[in-house]
Amino acid sequence: MVSRVAVVGVGQTYHEEAKSTQSYYDVAFEAATKALEDAALDKGEIDTVIASGWDVADGRTISDMYLVPAASGYLKDSAKAAEDGVLAFAYACMRLAAGAFDTALVIAHGHTEHPPELVSNVVFDPFFFRPMGASTITTLALQACAYADKYGVTPEQAAAVVAKNRRNAVDNPYAHLRSPVSVEDVVRSPPVAWPLRALDCPPRSVGAVALVLAAGERMRRIRSDVAWVRGVGWAVDGYELGAADLWRLPSLAAATARAYAAASIKNPLDELDVAEVHDITSYHELMAYEALGWAQPGGGARLLEEGVTGRGGKLPVNPSGGVLSTNLHAGSGLLRVAEAVLQVTGRAGAHQVEGARTALAHGLSAAAGPAAAGNCVVVLGRD
Amino acid sequence: MPRRVAIVGVGLTRCSSWRRDVSYPELVYEAVSAALQDCDIGPDAVDAVVYGSMDPFDGLNAPERWCVDACASAGALNKPLLKISTGGTTGGSAALGGYYHVASGMFDVVLVVCSQRVGETLDAQRVLNTAVDPVYERGFGAGAITVAAIQATSHMHYYGTTEEDLAMVAVQNHENSSNNPYAHLRFKFTVEDALNSRMLSTPLRLSDCCPSSDGACAVIFASEEKAPKLAKHPAWVRACGQITDNYFMGDRPWAEDWDSLAILARRIYRLAKIDNPRREIDVAELYQAFTIQQILEYEALGFCQKGEGAKLIRDGTTSMQGELPVDPSGGVLCNNPIGASGLIRVAEAALQVMGKAEQRQVPNVKTALAHAWGATIGFHTLMVLDKQAP
Repeated sequence: MVSRVAVVGVGQTYHEEAKSTQSYYDVAFEAATKALEDAALDKGEIDTVIASGWDVADGRTISDMYLVPAASGYLKDSAKAAEDGVLAFAYACMRLAAGAFDTALVIAHGHTEHPPELVSNVVFDPFFFRPMGASTITTLALQACAYADKYGVTPEQAAAVVAKNRRNAVDNPYAHLRSPVSVEDVVRSPPVAWPLRALDCPPRSVGAVALVLAAGERMRRIRSDVAWVRGVGWAVDGYELGAADLWRLPSLAAATARAYAAASIKNPLDELDVAEVHDITSYHELMAYEALGWAQPGGGARLLEEGVTGRGGKLPVNPSGGVLSTNLHAGSGLLRVAEAVLQVTGRAGAHQVEGARTALAHGLSAAAGPAAAGNCVVVLGRD
Repeated sequence: MPRRVAIVGVGLTRCSSWRRDVSYPELVYEAVSAALQDCDIGPDAVDAVVYGSMDPFDGLNAPERWCVDACASAGALNKPLLKISTGGTTGGSAALGGYYHVASGMFDVVLVVCSQRVGETLDAQRVLNTAVDPVYERGFGAGAITVAAIQATSHMHYYGTTEEDLAMVAVQNHENSSNNPYAHLRFKFTVEDALNSRMLSTPLRLSDCCPSSDGACAVIFASEEKAPKLAKHPAWVRACGQITDNYFMGDRPWAEDWDSLAILARRIYRLAKIDNPRREIDVAELYQAFTIQQILEYEALGFCQKGEGAKLIRDGTTSMQGELPVDPSGGVLCNNPIGASGLIRVAEAALQVMGKAEQRQVPNVKTALAHAWGATIGFHTLMVLDKQAP
């Protein structure tokens, strides 16, 4: 990058099943206003706004028409990543790194009150996959099934991810589901798409999250406890599920390699203090451990069982409760970045990991894609 | 200062109301392979992809996923790909995305691809109606054509522009599109024919409105180190940007002037060090989905004073032989694959600067301007391209 970029402000709404007293733009406005207050900036001090989201799941065309003005973007230079907000974050980093702007605001929202199964079915080509009923959840299930089959992962091992993350969410006042569940609860919950059961899948949450980024000289005047962006990488895998190794996440591995290279990370397990990963299903958190280079292929469940990724472990994962507790659909990835920022700046409250200086955030562009094929990795540091 | 960036390759597809001869990935590959050929590189040379489309105007959601193998990722999957959607400005926003990928120093060669198959949507105007607020503005049918009709009515009322002026804009653009093998509508007609065509949304007639098209476009951006090796005459980005207006149309009361575009133009001209746009810009590719908009754009972009846009059509200033030719391609009025239309403006402007616009080439182009609008006239993008590196 040409100039250094840091996150200087974080704002999020309380995430819940519905927000019946706020319109779409009110929810975005709340998150953006909190982020500006956190950075102690006036809306006039934001140079560029990057929105995110997926119109067809929102039921609104060109959602940035209302998101951007609600997020201090009136008469400013804006864009929208039609992806999870984590890619809007990547784009904002590029805009700042180019030196064209000093400050940026990134906004993401979840408004998928209805299951996005039909709209995600229309992602698939009309000839082969669409008539088969392919959708976000069924293709995620295909991956989970292939992974469980290849490495002998049991439903209980996957359910342990849910138990961990739902327990963590109890300490996060913004989380949507704040009640703990047991492994037994998960494996007894109703089946959704084999091998996924209801509690292996995330909820649908309404809410928004916003981040303020700054670069260069401008940032030094804003605050001292910033989260530096040390590395960002993203990648998209191929389309043909039949040609893919469904038991692994090659696009996450490719994104990870780019982010680690930029951040000069060689031994992630030793160098990272905390991580927020996009646990779109319980199985996918285990698969992510492997693609992120923390475990050998098939070794994800053992990492969890050894307590490495639990609270107090060597690398706590999803202390916020993760996506299994709060799912903003096209904002979950950006929420991972926001939580990672709170961790490295020591502001995560009851779910703070002591002494966290380096954090990883993984966002999946689940909004648009089948089978966890688009991934982004962000490495943040206090130093 | 940002790293210098140039356009080194351009690929266009043939457009029609339904390209049923190709599947969606084949349509995208038609544009991508043409762009790669244009600068003689293979897919491995591409570091990242920016993809633009407006999903709600397609018969398919997230086309970048089905088409990922057609986007240079062929044989080299798991590259960075960023999808951008901003309504009609999608193509312009995607071009800005490609620019910032390279300007950031993170990538050297970036492929920008935009596609749309409006032929597969049920009713684009109804889809667009879901963009506006469901309580206040959706009920009276706000969309693209209705908003343009308000612009036309206001302009006629305040500045005396006539239906004949609009017809002359249509005639000039159709004259130009007959030289463009990639345009959708390629027939000529007279002012009288235009004035006799069907009224769609008063005062806009059929001849005043764009078609809905299937098509794709690809543009390759490269860093200052790579650009001179990839193109004989790269089109350098001298300045570019976007502006966002109010969400509610009722909060943008002056329909006869396009103030948001005028503000953006001043910003971009300042960055590009352009003092007199009419003299210093050699050709402009403007996004005029409706005839009246070309007139408003002349004024907002400073080609003439407010209210005098129609004069530039009447005196031939913006014709192919004029002082400042506008839309030698025929523009959006003759070809509108929505999510790709903004990138086609950038591509056409780049072709003019590179001297590759064939029959529609304006002689001796040094500086070209590409524009797009979107989001029920709430967004604009501009990009100034130049033969000389900035």
